[in-house]
Amino acid sequence: MSPLAERLVADLRARPRHFAELVEAHAAVAWRDFLRAWGEVRGLEALGRDEQGRYVITAPAGEEAVQRRT
Amino acid sequence: MKQGFRDALRVLEDAGELRRIKKAVDPRHFSALAAQAKEATFFEAIEGYPSWRAAGALVSTRKRLALAMGCSEADIARRFEDGIRRPVDARLVSDGPCQEVVWQGDAVDLTAIPLPLMHVKDGGPYISATMVVSKDPEYGRNVGSYRLMYRTPRDTGIDLVSSSDMRRYYQRALDAGRPLEIAVAVGVHPYEMLAASYKAPIDVDEYAIAGGLHGAPVDLVRCRTVDLEVPADAELVLEGELLPIGWTADEGPFGEFSHITGDVKWNPIFRVKCITHRRDPIFYMLQMPWENDWLAAPVIEAAGLQALRIASVEPVAIRAPVGGCCYWTLIASIRKRPGEGKNALLALLSVAEVKLAIVTDDDINIYDPDELDWAMTFRIQADHDVLIIPGARGKHIDPSVRAWSLGKGGLPTTAKLGIDATIPEGVPREQYERLRYFAKDAVRLEDYL
Ligand SMILES: Cc1cc2nc3c(=O)[nH]c(=O)nc-3n(C[C@H](O)[C@H](O)[C@H](O)COP(=O)(O)O)c2cc1C
Repeated sequence: MSPLAERLVADLRARPRHFAELVEAHAAVAWRDFLRAWGEVRGLEALGRDEQGRYVITAPAGEEAVQRRT
Repeated sequence: MKQGFRDALRVLEDAGELRRIKKAVDPRHFSALAAQAKEATFFEAIEGYPSWRAAGALVSTRKRLALAMGCSEADIARRFEDGIRRPVDARLVSDGPCQEVVWQGDAVDLTAIPLPLMHVKDGGPYISATMVVSKDPEYGRNVGSYRLMYRTPRDTGIDLVSSSDMRRYYQRALDAGRPLEIAVAVGVHPYEMLAASYKAPIDVDEYAIAGGLHGAPVDLVRCRTVDLEVPADAELVLEGELLPIGWTADEGPFGEFSHITGDVKWNPIFRVKCITHRRDPIFYMLQMPWENDWLAAPVIEAAGLQALRIASVEPVAIRAPVGGCCYWTLIASIRKRPGEGKNALLALLSVAEVKLAIVTDDDINIYDPDELDWAMTFRIQADHDVLIIPGARGKHIDPSVRAWSLGKGGLPTTAKLGIDATIPEGVPREQYERLRYFAKDAVRLEDYL
């Protein structure tokens, strides 16, 4: 997994976020790199949603998937 | 001659309705910039995407939609009716600019397209200006418009929750345990977008309706990897399949055509197998909610005209205001005979999800809000002229129907309101004689300046 994808997972583990909040937190990253990293996070199949539609990492699926990829 | 997406841009530019932005723009900022422009926007340079340009907000106003349709603002419904009455079959051609560049296999990468991030609560970047084609062995070809949410370089979400022909095709494919092939054309003329969003009967080819609107056949090319055809002059085409996984993948939220953020939905996944585009592609960022609303206007207004005619009421003008998202509200002026104010309301309130209808006489310019207010003030007695119909079919995304309080799969109902702002029966027309200025035609202000 790329360092950016790892950071996105860490962000989501810290608290649920809307997609745009993640984008804002990494505003300096080129858009295409951000989208590629997001694709990696999606690929972990560990993303869930809270009631407000924010993304969350579903534990323990998230733990296992991240360990497998790193 | 059939017009293309670039012709629509040219028409707007010639009318002073297109703003060119020369400085490079990040796709994350397309929507916010387009929202600040009074005109449609053309992004001549895109940060990180040197071979692409982008355009948005083409039909964000009634004026721009009318320009694209080559008619007056009052005539969009009649223009649309003419098109659907005289369909022109599409024509298959051997090649087209939409396939000048082809990415297949490992080269497929959606991140190479300048995908816009539109709203603060969207579940991801969206492709909003789609013309999605699919086929069913029994029903044949279908075209609709369906939003796509970026998931990975090869996958998007697609909103297939509402009932539609393509939903039916997907369900049938799913029942047979196979994927549904689709192709998505992006960057087509507004006529194609109108035809795609029109709820045509299942056996009617929407490409022929687009042809009817153009007055010329739509040229189609065969896709490279799926058994489908797309407009040859599209800017970009995505080919692939809806995976047979049912409604299991998260999609949304998205800034809906109701001007409100929708919920997360559970939907299928679109796996992209091939991307084709022009050598110098222009990405069409359909600006929500305005363009989605205005693309609904001719359709809903035409349905209103038809409902009035079926009710034997003579319509003069009709308008689906953008405050009602060009969907929930219809305002019509009619040439009235006694009682027909109410007949007209019953007819208009039967159209799709219309929940507010206002009817005036033909002396009222329904495009002028002050005239409409005036008619609503002096031609209405609330105990006679207001019609409320409770318990009619509603739509989930209207918060006032309280859809969240229904159980899973529950369908909401809504009350419908009709306002008869025609001159009441028994009140002589002379009572409404307007003020006229003495000597209005004899003197001219310019002569005194
Ligand atoms: C810009 C735009 C986006 C749309 N997005 C969706 C969508 O994501 N999901 C949907 O069910 N309908 C959507 N619609 C409405 C459908 O395109 C419309 O109901 C159409 O008639 C469906 O075609 P079909 O029934 O032939 O498949 C959209 C319409 C427009 C104009």
